[in-house]
Amino acid sequence: MRRAICQSWRPRVLAMIVALVIGTVCLVDGCWVYAKALLAQELIGAAWQRSRAGEQDAKPWWWADTRPVAKLVIGRGARELMVLEGASGRNLAFGPVHDAASVLPGRPGNSVIEGHRDTHFRVLRELKPGDPISVELSDGKRFSFVVVDLRVADIRQSRISLGGERPRLTLVTCYPFDAIRAGGPLRYVVTAEQG
Amino acid sequence: MPALQLTPWKRLANWLRVLVLLSPVWVSPAAFTAQPDDVQSGSLLLKSSPDAPPAEAMRVQSSFQVQVTGNLARVRVSQQFSNPSDDWVEGLYVFPLSTDAAVDELVMHIGDRVIRGDIRKRDEARAVYEQARSEGRHASLVDQERPNMFTASVANIAPHSAISVEIAYLETIPNRDGRYTLRLPLAITPRYNPSVVNATPERVTGEQQRVNIDVELAPGFPVQSLDSLHHSVVATNDALGKHVRLSSSQVPADRDFELVWAPASVTDVQGAVFAERSGDATYALLMLSPPQQDAQVVEPREVEFIIDTSGSMQGPSIEQARAALQMGIDRLTEKDRFNVIRFSSDASSLFEVPRQVSQTTRALAKDFIAALSADGGTEMRPPLQLAFATAPATGFLRQIVFITDGSVGNETEIVSYIRQKIGNGRLFTVGIGASPNAFFLQEAAAAGRGSYTFIAERDQVQARMQDLFRKIESPALLDLSLQWPGSVTAELASNMPGDLYSGDPLVVLARLPGLPERNQVLTLSGRTHGVAWVHQVPIVSVTDQAGIAKLWARERIATLTRQRNFGGDAAEAQAGIVDLALRHHLVSEFTSLVAVDATPVRPPEADARSEQAPTSAPAGSYWSKTTGFAKTATSAGLELLIGCACLAFAALLFLPLAVSRRVGGR
Repeated sequence: MRRAICQSWRPRVLAMIVALVIGTVCLVDGCWVYAKALLAQELIGAAWQRSRAGEQDAKPWWWADTRPVAKLVIGRGARELMVLEGASGRNLAFGPVHDAASVLPGRPGNSVIEGHRDTHFRVLRELKPGDPISVELSDGKRFSFVVVDLRVADIRQSRISLGGERPRLTLVTCYPFDAIRAGGPLRYVVTAEQG
Repeated sequence: MPALQLTPWKRLANWLRVLVLLSPVWVSPAAFTAQPDDVQSGSLLLKSSPDAPPAEAMRVQSSFQVQVTGNLARVRVSQQFSNPSDDWVEGLYVFPLSTDAAVDELVMHIGDRVIRGDIRKRDEARAVYEQARSEGRHASLVDQERPNMFTASVANIAPHSAISVEIAYLETIPNRDGRYTLRLPLAITPRYNPSVVNATPERVTGEQQRVNIDVELAPGFPVQSLDSLHHSVVATNDALGKHVRLSSSQVPADRDFELVWAPASVTDVQGAVFAERSGDATYALLMLSPPQQDAQVVEPREVEFIIDTSGSMQGPSIEQARAALQMGIDRLTEKDRFNVIRFSSDASSLFEVPRQVSQTTRALAKDFIAALSADGGTEMRPPLQLAFATAPATGFLRQIVFITDGSVGNETEIVSYIRQKIGNGRLFTVGIGASPNAFFLQEAAAAGRGSYTFIAERDQVQARMQDLFRKIESPALLDLSLQWPGSVTAELASNMPGDLYSGDPLVVLARLPGLPERNQVLTLSGRTHGVAWVHQVPIVSVTDQAGIAKLWARERIATLTRQRNFGGDAAEAQAGIVDLALRHHLVSEFTSLVAVDATPVRPPEADARSEQAPTSAPAGSYWSKTTGFAKTATSAGLELLIGCACLAFAALLFLPLAVSRRVGGR
């Protein structure tokens, strides 16, 4: 009797194991994205402190091929984020990235910083016009900006302009914030001007 | 009983369906499909708010008067702003010009009266304009928004009337591939947004924008061919050359007017120097088209390809770089020598020393390239050390092609290393991907006396790399230098390139101390086909104010702007730019032209409305100063969702099993 039951349950146990394995892999992989985002920020923050303290070419971890260029303090909640140089997919996993084609924050022109909507730049959804954003560069210079414009852009029809004679800061993340799939065409664009 | 055996899998599918239905929070279709228009929070899209009813649009009629003398064009753009509404309005017009256009005049026509604009510091000009606007006087203001983008504002246009504003600029027309091209910007750029540029703006119809074009062409040589690329024109001969007019004023305003002409005979080297006195100095303009290349006598080359295989090149970047590299090797001839060096945290090369191109070496290179994969850090010094390790073989021209995405930390050190080691070689940098470190790559190319190529889009790689390779295959003139009469040292408006390539014209603007004498020559010297080359060009004095001094100042301003953007002293650069612009009456980043009428026209009780003239689709070329968007979402959420679903499913499977165990146990 027991044997018969066992036999009839075998496919069910098999399915259960498969589901357990897939489920665990997905969960671990998903959590790893968040863990990496948090951990990297800590390490980059430490490297930032070291480089501010005078260490030459302080890298967040020894094989890193990027370096922190700025510290962002966003919104009324004063969320702190370390910004990396170079908008590659790898860098984006570790923190918001500065588009190296654009100027550094505080210089005349548009400085573009992009971040993941589901990790670092989730904070952008809370921003309203008039909110403060401040930027600290590695040489210790600080610039404060004020949010002047929030909009949604379609990447199939637009590009980010880099010109202008006044310093401007543009933060970009994916949109909608709650979409489940990555790779959509919409971006949430926050423009801030020096204030 | 196959049907029975399938049952668990059918059930599995059913359960999955139920699970998906049970998690509406995560997979609500609304989250997928939200469009900008149905965003809940209204503050998002305020800029395109429809609550202002569309008033009857202000109209602009443009007219271009162009005088081409030799290589110089003096362009007068006259824009008539007409106001068909019952209100007093302020007009704003955005117009692109070529990057080296020197805007120096603003003239406002009101009825029969003519008011000339003054050059002022930008803030001052803006203050003067705003005061005039609030006092109800006619006023206009020309600002530079970007080096190639200007705005004209016109205040207090009376109801049902018009104001005409004339803007004048100067530009050079270099000889490229034996032809001269005059380009007039008819396609007006889309509305100017703080950050996001629309790539597909609305089009202006012929009714909205009428254009007149009148070109007096005195090129100084018999014209053989004359073509208007996009618009139909009528050309007549006159005493000095040609007179070209549009055959109709209803022209498509969505593309620029391009007029191309070529001389009847092509000499070996086409060079011309014009000189103009201004103040206590002489300003000279040199235009030189390098001699055409004969493929038979090209110097053999030793090309070292350096390719970045660091982790940041992962994905499309490394694929593009591999394809570009393969193309470069395919284009080499059997007279050339080559090597391939890859680097990330370390560097290694295909051959120990560069080897002659042959079937064997080509095959080895192909395998080497195919095996390249992106991983590790970015250490740029080791590959350069490998490239510079051996002196180039005698009789060979060394060229280094450096392909990277440019993320680097020790820029200054690398640049000075290149400067120290480059010798007679040339270094060409190629930046691939969305955000190469343009500053570093430009500086490195300048130190290596080569050029920098920036390739943002994947579909440009093939064409841009082909251009670069074709160019460096045929250097027409190497180590070019200039000797001015009397051996004076000229102050060049921008650095002169060391080499000239076939089809690439050279334009040099110089400021010489002292005044010119008659019948003087400029001596050019360099190397071509491995032998010394000397050429003398007579300096032609231009008596009337042709504007060479202004063009020199414009180019000098561009150089100062570049230096500032690349980390120079901002305050110093600004002071220099303001000084040059005020002295030469030029619109710049920090100076604007403003014209104000003395008498108020708008009664104080009438309100003024501000309006922007309709704009037209741009030619793609104006949008080079933009960047694309990165991929800023992860699939972590989706993975968590799938993970939870699978675990819940496993639990559901386990539950009946446990229950039946307990039942079975009894």
